[in-house]
Amino acid sequence: MQGSTDLTDKALVARCRSGDDDAWNELVARFSRYVYAICVQGFRFSSEDAEDVFQDVFTKVYQQLGRLRDDAAFRPWIGQLTRRTCVDHLRSSREDAAEQVEPPGVDDRLGELDEALTVREVMATLPESCQEILDRFFARDESYKTIGEALDLPPGTIASRISRCLEKLKAAMEDPDASSRPVDG
Amino acid sequence: MTNYDIESLARLIGALPPPPLGWVSAAQELPRVRAELDDLIVRAEGDAQLRARLVADLESALAESGISPTPRILAEARLRLEL
Repeated sequence: MQGSTDLTDKALVARCRSGDDDAWNELVARFSRYVYAICVQGFRFSSEDAEDVFQDVFTKVYQQLGRLRDDAAFRPWIGQLTRRTCVDHLRSSREDAAEQVEPPGVDDRLGELDEALTVREVMATLPESCQEILDRFFARDESYKTIGEALDLPPGTIASRISRCLEKLKAAMEDPDASSRPVDG
Repeated sequence: MTNYDIESLARLIGALPPPPLGWVSAAQELPRVRAELDDLIVRAEGDAQLRARLVADLESALAESGISPTPRILAEARLRLEL
């Protein structure tokens, strides 16, 4: 049977709907960063508010998955669901419900996060070693020293490895077949 | 697909940091917790003693049943038990 991590969004959603726990775990893992980023970057929520919205979104996803008409459209659906949940959360804390609640520039920011999710999807086609080093350095903000210790690599090789992996990602963005070639060093 | 320069790719990777691990685990636990809560509510409908325990001290009764009584779960249980 195909592992949940290899599934398309469409297939993953179908498995979730049939009650597959592994598929649900993967769905949450796959979209958790996106939902989180919409909360803290798009809407600038505090950690406490972001956690509330984050859990609300996945509760709604679980409850409303059956209403999704097109499983392939899960990604825009969860994006909109998160945005609406953020707006509802803001409205619930304000007296004037008609007031403009979305922070300025939210459309641009959400557009950028959508782009970032596309990059993540392509990054997932790279070798595990590339995914890990790029994620640790750029997304988790880890130092060369921390990465070197975690991956058992000499710190002096990390910069060049990151650079090669970025080049590989760039090639994969332009030509998805390029990601199957190995990365040395 | 769109062509990206290396700097843009680096920025876009950095745009999606991971949420705290506990948040992800809690969301992944949702189906199990909801199934356990469903089961508990159904049992409480036919078991006066269980319902009395839930009404008297919902938080402890949930914990005794293996359900972590988070604020969200407590709110839902109160709603479903009409407390």
